[in-house]
Amino acid sequence: MIDIENIEKVYTVGVVTTRVLKGISFQVKAGEYVAIMGASGTGKSTLMHILGCLDKPTGGHYRLEGTDMVNLDDDALSHLRNHRIGFVFQQFHLLERATSIRNVTLPLIYSERYPEDAHQRAEKALAAVGLADHMTYKPNQLSGGQQQRVAIARALITDPTILLADEPTGNLDSRSGAEVMAIFQRLHRDGRTIILVSHDRAVAEHANRIIILKDGRIAEDRPLPNPRDAEAELRVLAEKEGQP
Amino acid sequence: MNTLRIAQEGARALSANKLRTFFMMAGTIVGIAALTVIMAVGKGTEKKVMKRVTSFGTHAIMITAGGGKGFSPPQAGITTLRLEDAEAISSQIQGIDVVASFAVKRAMPVKAGSSQVQTGVMAISPQWHEAWDWYTKEGDPITAEDIATMARVCLLGTTSAKDLFGDEDPIGQYIQIGNVRFKVKGILQTRGVSPMGDDFDTRIMIPLTTGLRRLYNQDYITNIRVKVKDTNQLVPISEEIRKLLHDRHHITPPEEDDFAIFSAAEVANTARGISGTLTILLSALAGLSLVVGGVVLMNILLISVGERTKEIGLRRAVGARRKDIFMQFLMESLAVTLIGMVLGSALGWAASVILARVTQFPGVISWEPFALALAFALVVGVFFGVQPARRAAGLHPVEALK
Repeated sequence: MIDIENIEKVYTVGVVTTRVLKGISFQVKAGEYVAIMGASGTGKSTLMHILGCLDKPTGGHYRLEGTDMVNLDDDALSHLRNHRIGFVFQQFHLLERATSIRNVTLPLIYSERYPEDAHQRAEKALAAVGLADHMTYKPNQLSGGQQQRVAIARALITDPTILLADEPTGNLDSRSGAEVMAIFQRLHRDGRTIILVSHDRAVAEHANRIIILKDGRIAEDRPLPNPRDAEAELRVLAEKEGQP
Repeated sequence: MNTLRIAQEGARALSANKLRTFFMMAGTIVGIAALTVIMAVGKGTEKKVMKRVTSFGTHAIMITAGGGKGFSPPQAGITTLRLEDAEAISSQIQGIDVVASFAVKRAMPVKAGSSQVQTGVMAISPQWHEAWDWYTKEGDPITAEDIATMARVCLLGTTSAKDLFGDEDPIGQYIQIGNVRFKVKGILQTRGVSPMGDDFDTRIMIPLTTGLRRLYNQDYITNIRVKVKDTNQLVPISEEIRKLLHDRHHITPPEEDDFAIFSAAEVANTARGISGTLTILLSALAGLSLVVGGVVLMNILLISVGERTKEIGLRRAVGARRKDIFMQFLMESLAVTLIGMVLGSALGWAASVILARVTQFPGVISWEPFALALAFALVVGVFFGVQPARRAAGLHPVEALK
């Protein structure tokens, strides 16, 4: 489904050229849950932007369900992001003055036709992340974990091919982080394709496959037969809080 | 497509920051208000001008004995304006339709039976009727024969007729002006009150020769009225008449004239008066406000684009195309100027109404200012909105999300 072939990214600032990605290749099959790991400066954010069609590589090919995005123009990339990709960011990126419902329906505004059942779809998506009671709340009335769950609902509203999460727990406390990871695992069980980018091994180990970047190249690409169980971690956290 | 929803996104940003939105709008409000007042005053003034010109006579030139500027009553004691001057104008100047001479005396005592009034008496030549386009509605006008025989006949204005005879028919009856008896031979058409406040219908007309010889005992006249064939010739003909009278009265220009010439063109200018100045001032204000307001609008929008970089990045990430972002910001700009237009029009309309009540400026409300305001709002909104909208649309999603 995702076919990355020898992707390169070179930045040129003045006379200085920096090769951030030096030929990366891998495939992701439908329903996989992949974590891309690496220290800062290894190019994982750049790779994430290319995977999300926010940026184009300077070399190589990226086929998403057979379409090579390298040849697409800006409008076509926007269309691709709208339909095929759901983003979850470290900083949530919610519209401050908009309710949860409005935040979740935002991507639908940019589809060819605003669906008539947009509101119901948003309600369903919010209920799926456990926010059925927070439909009309604005971001400043929600906790960090709740805000990130609104962002997940927003990412899922267009039923995208892949869910891309960039350090989704980076701004959250451990309990909220575990809740978010539990949602991802549940989505994975339901068949959703997820690519998670993190520098944190403990977070990455919730996925079923880990790709480790080092200095712009893939250093390691291995399956994880026994990923961490976010639900179990949540139970442990709950027990700890329960103790005096 | 979803343009309406994208416009809504722009509108939401505006309602979220009302003070800022107000500042963005202020220039448009003032500009459009000024524009509305200009149009109202302009239209009102033209209406006033037309009324005055029509009342004066669109083709008329009036020569009054005595110097001075403006349309003033003849000066007493000026004896230099003579019938021969009128004849010279009539015979020597081209493009003239009618020349009528007359001599006015204000506040003459007039009696009929037991009724007595004081009113203006005009001794007129037969051409007077045509020169003023003012005829009798009953009875007969002043004729050449009346002039030749120095007939003791008169015409009454409708107000005089009522004052002197009540409901009786005055025609054939006699009145006494000073010590002379006159037979009423006609009633003039009702003319109404002049824009300067004179009641035309109180006047009494007598033949010119009768007036000069039998009543006033003088050989000079007070006015000559000239009707030209072509209104475009009003100014040149006025100047020709001035030259002719200079020659005839032996006046060399730095010397003061002993007559005044006033045409419909001058009536129009006098009626326009300071409305012209006000219009120029308000136009400058409107232009300045719209331009300054537009620049302020543009700058605030540019700041707003800077502050909302992350929002723009997010919108791009979830699928907004460049043109969607462009439209959102352009719509924001247009919404500001269009709401500003509505408020400005309302303000301008209110100001026009107050101005018309409080000052002499006539305000006429019509649809044109609103149409013009709409056009200006659209132009300002688009012109000053394009740059911020382009900047917003040009942001790279990756950079914007950082």
